[in-house]
Amino acid sequence: MATEIKLPRLGQGMESGTIVKWLKSEGDKVEKGEPLYELDTDKVTQEVEADASGVLLKIAISSGEVEVGKTIAVIGEQGEEVATEVEKPADDGAGAQAVGEDAQEEGSAARAREQDREQGRRASSQMNEQVTEIPQPSGDNGGRVKASPLARRIARERGIDLSAVAGTGPDGRVVAEDVERSAASAGPVQLAAPAATEGVEVQQLSSMRKTIARRLTEAWQAPVFQLGITVDMGRALELRKRLVELNAEGSVKPTISDLLTKVCAAALIRHRPVNALYKGDAVELYPTANIGIAVAVPNGLVVPVIPGCERKSIAEIAATRAAVVERARAGKLQQSDLDGGTFTISNLGMFGIERFVAVLNPPQAAILAVGSIEDRVVAVDGRPAVRPRMELTLTCDHRAIDGATGAEFLRDVKAFLEEPGLAL
Amino acid sequence: MAKVEQKGTLSKSDLRDFFREMLLIRRFEEKVEERFRAGELPGFLHVAIGQEAVAVGVCRALEENDIIASTHRAHGHTLAKGTTPNELMAELYGKLEGCSHGYGGSMHLYDIERGNMGANAVVGGGLPAIVGAALAFKFRSEPRVGVAFFGDGATNIGTFHESLNLAQLWNVPAVFVCENNHWAESTPGWQHMPIEDISQRAVAFGMKSIKVDGQDVEAVYKATRRALEHARSGKGPVFLAVNTYRLVGHYIGDPQVYRSKEELEETRATQDPIEHLRTKLELSEDEVEEIDREVREIVDASVEFAKNGTDPKPEDALKNIYA
Amino acid sequence: MPELSYREAVRDALSRAMREDEDVFIMGEDIAEMGGSMGVTQGMVDEFGPERVRNTPISEMALAGAAIGAAMQGMRPVAEIMYEDFLTLAAEQIVNQAAKHRYMSGGQLTVPVTFRTQGGAGWSPGAQHAQQLESWFVHIPGLKVVFASTPTDVRGLLWSSIYDDNPVVFFEHRTLYGLKEDVPDELEPIPLGKARTHRQGDDVTVIATGRLVHESLAAAEEAEKEGVSVEVVDPRTLQPLDEEALISSVKKTNRCVVAHEAVTRGGFGAEVAAVIQYGAFDWLDAPVERVGAKFAPLPFAPVMEEFVVPHQADVLAAIYRTVGRTSDGN
Repeated sequence: MATEIKLPRLGQGMESGTIVKWLKSEGDKVEKGEPLYELDTDKVTQEVEADASGVLLKIAISSGEVEVGKTIAVIGEQGEEVATEVEKPADDGAGAQAVGEDAQEEGSAARAREQDREQGRRASSQMNEQVTEIPQPSGDNGGRVKASPLARRIARERGIDLSAVAGTGPDGRVVAEDVERSAASAGPVQLAAPAATEGVEVQQLSSMRKTIARRLTEAWQAPVFQLGITVDMGRALELRKRLVELNAEGSVKPTISDLLTKVCAAALIRHRPVNALYKGDAVELYPTANIGIAVAVPNGLVVPVIPGCERKSIAEIAATRAAVVERARAGKLQQSDLDGGTFTISNLGMFGIERFVAVLNPPQAAILAVGSIEDRVVAVDGRPAVRPRMELTLTCDHRAIDGATGAEFLRDVKAFLEEPGLAL
Repeated sequence: MAKVEQKGTLSKSDLRDFFREMLLIRRFEEKVEERFRAGELPGFLHVAIGQEAVAVGVCRALEENDIIASTHRAHGHTLAKGTTPNELMAELYGKLEGCSHGYGGSMHLYDIERGNMGANAVVGGGLPAIVGAALAFKFRSEPRVGVAFFGDGATNIGTFHESLNLAQLWNVPAVFVCENNHWAESTPGWQHMPIEDISQRAVAFGMKSIKVDGQDVEAVYKATRRALEHARSGKGPVFLAVNTYRLVGHYIGDPQVYRSKEELEETRATQDPIEHLRTKLELSEDEVEEIDREVREIVDASVEFAKNGTDPKPEDALKNIYA
Repeated sequence: MPELSYREAVRDALSRAMREDEDVFIMGEDIAEMGGSMGVTQGMVDEFGPERVRNTPISEMALAGAAIGAAMQGMRPVAEIMYEDFLTLAAEQIVNQAAKHRYMSGGQLTVPVTFRTQGGAGWSPGAQHAQQLESWFVHIPGLKVVFASTPTDVRGLLWSSIYDDNPVVFFEHRTLYGLKEDVPDELEPIPLGKARTHRQGDDVTVIATGRLVHESLAAAEEAEKEGVSVEVVDPRTLQPLDEEALISSVKKTNRCVVAHEAVTRGGFGAEVAAVIQYGAFDWLDAPVERVGAKFAPLPFAPVMEEFVVPHQADVLAAIYRTVGRTSDGN
């Protein structure tokens, strides 16, 4: 049986060699171990011995560079047939995984180990995508803004508030580029802080304004939709008048806003998905309606919260509302006054604003904008009539609330205002 | 592998067994060369062709609980000490089924259960541990001996001198087997040693030495028995100076440009330990052929076993670092 | 509570282990009658005999290697390398053999050996007798590295090192041998891999090892007077390192100084600084400072030696720099 002589791997890392000259000719007898040809490798020129005994039937490659594993000659018995085209053998079980369509030659098993090495390298790179060797202790930042030292320096030099800058760096850090971008988009006011030009009053943001700015920027990124509805306020105004008449001496007079708060609370309990907070990977539905009332204060806006509105009577809501608004205007709000809100009502009706769209108060999922009560001509039973009408606009975070849900809520708010008994 | 019937005496059947074992090692090593040239074995390898009688002669003389530590040229010792060809070949292929589970390779073959404390890639690196092991045996009054294999090249390094010194000083049960094949890689003995008789090295430490012809497996066996007896009985360590020959290069692929062709041919023709034993036993061609066929089958099967073995996962690299 | 010196604490740990466990024995140069060049093993040969308190010739490779070999057979030897400078000689056996046997065998064995050694400048020993080489061994997978700075710590940690199944390189500091402290009656093993906070503070964390723990505590006292509150943490085990404790501390204080007697360049402090930089990046209000020996072999003449080696003043200056003051506190 003919033996194919292949170029051997004579040292680790050897990929190829150059046949310098054959020491035997075709037809010669060869003994195993006899020098067969001279080979030039990186390191040395040496004689290579025959692997088998027999007759040198064919020299497939007479000289030149050859890859390790290629057949260079055939030794066999006198008279054996050898194909003119020396065939490449099929995979002799080199233990390698198949490499595409190519037949596996013995020598190409050098590539097989190369595949193992490739696998090792790949697995190592995959690890790079995960965690570094140094454990990252978990826990929040404790209010510390994550920003690179360079970003901090730029922010410091330009007077930019880092907490208002969105971070795009590693781990959500604010990096120099973010600060630059923020500086550019904010416009000339934020360039080179001192030296204001004549007549321009520069108002540095108070920390309240900074917080407002930051939160509103955050809110702006939420995908929202707005629903508008117009309410006939006839019954509501009557109810209010009656409540004022019945009001005890010295206690707070209930307002339409208080009524609205109570009505919203009832609707929120019936439509829990609207009484919700959006928390990124979850929506939290609350069992109680803690309604925040937007209050304008000198130089700002605060939203104190009236907790548990669904359990309070209108009178109680009014009392709580008055107290907290008083504190707000006096600048004496506690953190507990501001925490825990599940829904916000913003009313600009007293300024004659008919309708507007409020910006979400994150992480709350919805906010109601209330316009002024105006006399309008509308159709009642097919005939024109003058009715007091108020427009409500509900802004919803679409990540938490769908159109139908928001619509059902708003429809109930209108229904309760037009027929208060329904809220019982 | 049959146990030698009565330790100390060698019957014809024992010697035939030795012959088979040596031939198995020879065919194994030839197969390793072949597979290496085919590009299937990573790293670099040193085969023990020509030194089979030392491996078999020494290891067969050991008692069950004696231990060995080997060198970079470890395949012969490892097989002779009881690791199966399957486990050894699988290790050379880097598989989990290998005796070192793919973590060690040719120069770091361990088989702790079978008393093989490991092959060592650092010349002389394993000698101090054998001294320590022998010390432990002494502490515990165990009748065990620690045997270190090393070459003539290793007799120049610090660990050799320190280890023999300490072993003799503390009178521990150790045997130091020096396989003097007259080459330290490419440097011939006369170029690396200022003395001719390597057993003289032991004199410096006051240690007993025994000289033996390493191509005669029976002689090696008997000399080892004497050395073990000496050490085991508490008389102290022994330096076994074994004269042997490397019939191939230092590593697979070594073109041995430093060695004269004539010397190599002459050595191959006259110093083959397997040929010696075959002659001594007067084995017929048929008998040899039958044994050869048997061992070749075992060797071929080990390659199959290895190739079908399990590759370690990349992440396995991070295991076994700490206990 | 008895008072023990650092030296006595080492001896106590060794002796208790040897009394309880036949498999524990000690070996090293001059450790028997002489009791060791630092007097650590004083008297032990009288209690345990010369087999178990075993003098060796001057053969670091064989001494280390024999300990390794005995450990591979299940004993728990503690080998003393007289000066850590001589670890260079034993390194082949420690690095190439002890650290790797378990791994290269695919998990077949353990090497529960402990190498004790000491170093420390300040007495003109010259360049070859006072190096601090702990960072070399932290770099070797398979080894554990311990460096205790107080009698209680050294006793509890040595015990744990002996009973750890991995090879441990256990560093002692020469100038601390005489340091005395009240220690618990019973030996309390201290787990490897746990740092110790010596002093709480709010403004800057000083991470220190060996002699520099004490220099740092003194510096902290000074800084306190100037209104800087300093926290001092000793990692105690260098490998495995209690990264979480160190990072937590720096997250609290926002500033870090790393101090050791070893040369700063490529010293253990470089590793700690990298860990802190990575783990507490957003909490740092100042770059991480490193205090160590200057980049020179240790000089002989006292005036030069003191110049090279770090002191309390260097730690203090670093502390002040982190809080934005000049080195003298202003």
